[in-house]
Amino acid sequence: MTILGPLGPSLAPAVRANKNLYRWVKPFADWYANLAGWRKVGLKYDDLRANSNSALQAIGRLTPREYYDRAFRYKRASHLSVLHTTLPKDQWTKPEEDKRYLAPHVRNVEAEDQERFKWDHMEVHRN
Amino acid sequence: MLAARASAARSASRLARNFATVVETAGVKVAAADSGEATSAVTFVVKAGSRFEPKAGVAHALKNYAFKSTSKRSTLATIREAELLGGVLSSSLSREHLAVTAEFLRGDESFFVDALSSFFTSAKFTRHELIEYVAPVCEAETTAAHANPATRAIDLAHTLAFRAGLGSSIFTSPGQHVSAEDVEAYASTVFGKGNLAVLGTGIDSATLQGLLEKSLGSLPAAAAPSTAPSRYFGGETRIEAHGAPETVFIGFGQVGASAPELAVLAAYLDPTPSIKWSQGLSPIASQVPVGASVKAVLLPYSDATLFGLLVQGPSTEAVKAAGKAAVSALKEAGAAKGEDLQRAIAKAKFAASSSVDGREGLISLLGSKALAGSEASLDSALSALDKVDSSAFSKATSELLKGKPTFVAVGNKSLPYQDELGL
Repeated sequence: MTILGPLGPSLAPAVRANKNLYRWVKPFADWYANLAGWRKVGLKYDDLRANSNSALQAIGRLTPREYYDRAFRYKRASHLSVLHTTLPKDQWTKPEEDKRYLAPHVRNVEAEDQERFKWDHMEVHRN
Repeated sequence: MLAARASAARSASRLARNFATVVETAGVKVAAADSGEATSAVTFVVKAGSRFEPKAGVAHALKNYAFKSTSKRSTLATIREAELLGGVLSSSLSREHLAVTAEFLRGDESFFVDALSSFFTSAKFTRHELIEYVAPVCEAETTAAHANPATRAIDLAHTLAFRAGLGSSIFTSPGQHVSAEDVEAYASTVFGKGNLAVLGTGIDSATLQGLLEKSLGSLPAAAAPSTAPSRYFGGETRIEAHGAPETVFIGFGQVGASAPELAVLAAYLDPTPSIKWSQGLSPIASQVPVGASVKAVLLPYSDATLFGLLVQGPSTEAVKAAGKAAVSALKEAGAAKGEDLQRAIAKAKFAASSSVDGREGLISLLGSKALAGSEASLDSALSALDKVDSSAFSKATSELLKGKPTFVAVGNKSLPYQDELGL
């Protein structure tokens, strides 16, 4: 289980559930996301997560297109890092493009690992 | 007296082996018989073989998707639970049918019937399972099959004989891309109540019906897939292979339901002796060189039959000699009468009956009958064999040989050509 990082414990579901709170928090969240800078080098939020075992397995489950795009974003971002610059503003990742493309796969892999753990450690009672 | 007793005993045992009735439960054809086996087996048979696939390799992938994750339980849960209960889950594919089987101890039927049904009602066909489990298994099975020259020759013979439809291979062709969406789309067309038959052995019919009513409720009512009727073409091909026995397949095909005369012909020609290390009475047996072998192959399908002789040997010379003997015996086979024919009929009847003793044979013979809704029993096949007489036999044989032969050579370049064997 991840403690920190994009798949750690999060208050986001609670915030989303409360409409008023969501309306208050959303501008700050957007402001923070833009400030953090991954969008300015053309990355997506899910590109930032550490490559744990389950993430690596999840990356293997991406479609060939998603996998290629991810590699391209990394290459572009590391090149920009070498140049100490950011992309022109029209090429920044748009908020609506910043989708969690990897998280569902990671969640599936982790659920499978948990299930395997359960089966490995269960006690069988026969009637 | 003795004869009467023997025939009474025979018919009694035959009754026990038969599925007397095919019942419709939840729209599905169900046939079950309990003849006191120590274990139970339940098989789901669907018309989902390679004959009906829209794209090469889809049926093979579908077969290997069996027991993968469904909305009811994950792949791991299926494996672990089956192991805890001590059962075996397996799936097999033929050109016309996909059979998914569970064998288990008596009393565990509720889990195993549910595990089978959930594949048909709610399989997920995930992309990652295709990449992680299904595709590697398909590839390995194809490689293994292609390493066996006999399998390869018969596979090629089907393609030559029937081209599309029955000609499409049950193995994935290398380099052919099959996606999870292809498999799911194929499954959605063939998994339907009208296209499914359930066979049970060692399980009470009422129990099985009760379980199926519970688990198959959500299955759509799709009918059997339709295809163009088979046509027979024939032809010749050769493939180079090394390190395996030199192999030649000489075949003839026929459209229409399989005639009992062909089963008799196969039994008449097949030189496999009834006692090991002896020489049989087959006309081919005495002329096969040491080390070479000839096998009669009879592959009946719903609307066509492929009959052939598979000649294998360590060298091309041996195969050529055995092949010549096989072809000349095949050409003269129609003249068989009297004791020779009776012997062949008895052999054919024994082969048909003993194949039904095993579960696999039972499913391949009776599965298609149960799907068609006709009486799933052996009796009709046996009585048809009894009725074969010399005139019908010679007529059927000459009609079979009128067609263009299907000739496949797998092995060394110097293997004989079709005309060199006298065809």
